[in-house]
Amino acid sequence: MTTLLEVQGISVSFDGFKAINDLSFEIGAAELRAIIGPNGAGKTTFMDIVTGKTRPDEGAIVWGERNVNLLRMNESAIARAGIGRKFQRPTVFEDQSVFDNLLMALNNKRSPLRVLLYKRTRTDAERVRDLAAEIGLEDALDRRAGILSHGQKQWLEIGMLLAQEPRLLLVDEPAAGMTKAERDRTVALLRRAARTRSVIDVEHDMDFVRKLDCKVTVLHEGAVLAEGSLDHVTRDQQVIDVYLGR
Amino acid sequence: MIIRNHPSVLVFLILLGLFTLGVTLMSEATGTAMLSTSFVKTLGKTLCLALVAIAMDLVWGYCGILSLGHFAFFGLGGYMIGMWLMYARTEAIVANAAAAEALPPTPQELSDSIGSQIFGVVGGSDIPVVWTFAHSLPLQLALVVLVPGVLALVFGWLAFRSRVAGVYLSILTQAMTLALSLYLFQNDSGLRGNNGLSGLQNIPGWEDVPQSVVSLRFFWASAAALALAYVFSAWMVAGKFGSVVRGIRDDEARVRFLGYNVEAYKLTVFTVTAIIAGIAGALYYPQAGIINPAEIAPIASIYLAVWVAIGGRGRLYGAVVGAAFVSLVSTWFTGGQAPDINLGFYTIKWVDWWTVLLGLSFILVTLFAPKGMGGLVDLIEHRRAPDRHGADLGPDKGSFREAEQQ
Repeated sequence: MTTLLEVQGISVSFDGFKAINDLSFEIGAAELRAIIGPNGAGKTTFMDIVTGKTRPDEGAIVWGERNVNLLRMNESAIARAGIGRKFQRPTVFEDQSVFDNLLMALNNKRSPLRVLLYKRTRTDAERVRDLAAEIGLEDALDRRAGILSHGQKQWLEIGMLLAQEPRLLLVDEPAAGMTKAERDRTVALLRRAARTRSVIDVEHDMDFVRKLDCKVTVLHEGAVLAEGSLDHVTRDQQVIDVYLGR
Repeated sequence: MIIRNHPSVLVFLILLGLFTLGVTLMSEATGTAMLSTSFVKTLGKTLCLALVAIAMDLVWGYCGILSLGHFAFFGLGGYMIGMWLMYARTEAIVANAAAAEALPPTPQELSDSIGSQIFGVVGGSDIPVVWTFAHSLPLQLALVVLVPGVLALVFGWLAFRSRVAGVYLSILTQAMTLALSLYLFQNDSGLRGNNGLSGLQNIPGWEDVPQSVVSLRFFWASAAALALAYVFSAWMVAGKFGSVVRGIRDDEARVRFLGYNVEAYKLTVFTVTAIIAGIAGALYYPQAGIINPAEIAPIASIYLAVWVAIGGRGRLYGAVVGAAFVSLVSTWFTGGQAPDINLGFYTIKWVDWWTVLLGLSFILVTLFAPKGMGGLVDLIEHRRAPDRHGADLGPDKGSFREAEQQ
């Protein structure tokens, strides 16, 4: 399996507190991975670093076949390179229709001039409709995103991620606040997405991770504590001590 | 295309056309003279204020950048056209006077004479470097666009790339405005200090045209510029660009993680609106007749924000209505036309109390009608919307009810 993203020994501290401590991590192409860990383990900081929001004090992040160093790029350039991010709180553009939300995310040219002169093509409209069908919002295309239910907003955001056609999806607790039926649907969505691209799911909920049925990385105090199948890591004594036992 | 998808653009253009026609028919030059020339000028100036309000609405209402500097760009546009107006007119006067002399003046004498005519008031006679292009109308017209545009580009680039946003950016733009205004107040700024540029209502080459006709020509030009800017702005915000820009207003980080270079978009909107503001200023000041640094003071830009807020930001006609309504009412109150109210123990003089009234209405609008006067249009349109008797709009119990939608 080829490596898509390789994080090499990154560290970052905020006011003397080491949020990430010599963390190394690897994910291959078309792999589904769950990252779990107790509060303050550095899960969100890890995502912030990969997506360019936070600069690490040391370490390197190597991306893709051409071994690009992500630390030299800003957020939007990283997103264009193929890393999509979903926030924990659903963040969609509530003021705009579901269609416009998805259209904005479509993988087209993103410079101001190109966007200003952009004309909606039939293929793009088709693509938006396909995506809406994928996330179960095909009947809601003209609705304002603000009036969607919580679960629908989460799906819309995942749909926007898919529209970007990223090679790596970072999702932060996508199932938080969802009903059981909605969670099952989200599991199916992520598993389907992981067939063609890599997905990293930062998760709190063990039950959800079990349904994802994938390799798990356990973070603790900003470093990797254990890695392997869910059964493997839940039997690990260290993991039990710091996380599951409590 | 724009008009088909956005009927409000057509409605606006028709109303503006009817208004222009009505004023033309009632003006002194071409109609029944029901409106005085000075009132035609007031209306023309109001159209220019509506134009700069559209710029403010684009940058604030759509892109979420509360700029307190757009009146500086407006003033710069005015200064740029004012320089040509003053230079060309003084040149004509000087040439006229020289024609009576026995010996024709050398170019140097001519230049010195113009210099002392224009800058005598600030104790100078040399023509400053900034007036290099003042002899040429096309060059000064280019500067109307270039000076505000380049200033906005450089200032915006510095501010946005450091990720200055929100209230800090507002303060920064205000500081820029104040600095510019203070600089222009100096006599050696080359723009006649606090005297400003005057006599701008006299258009070189139009010496034989009466002011009633000049006022109407500028009124038409202002109406045309407003119409063009309205259609252009509607086109800009209607498509995907507008979608991205409103996205930046609502959640900047999300747009960034979608792969859009947020700073480039902000810079584009900031610069384009600065240029619109400059053009508005270039049309305004020939109608006002005089421009001085006090026009650029930060309070003017704050007024601009108040107009847009009262009219309703995030919709173009809201900006136009707000600017037109507030500035006309302001003219009425401060012009001494509003009757004083005698309370027995105190007489309310509107000239003094108008700003208090304006401030109060700004607070009330912010608190109770955040959509501004544009919200009234929603009220009318809602009555026409289908009544679902409060049924929910989404398929889930968790979704909003109809009543909660707005």
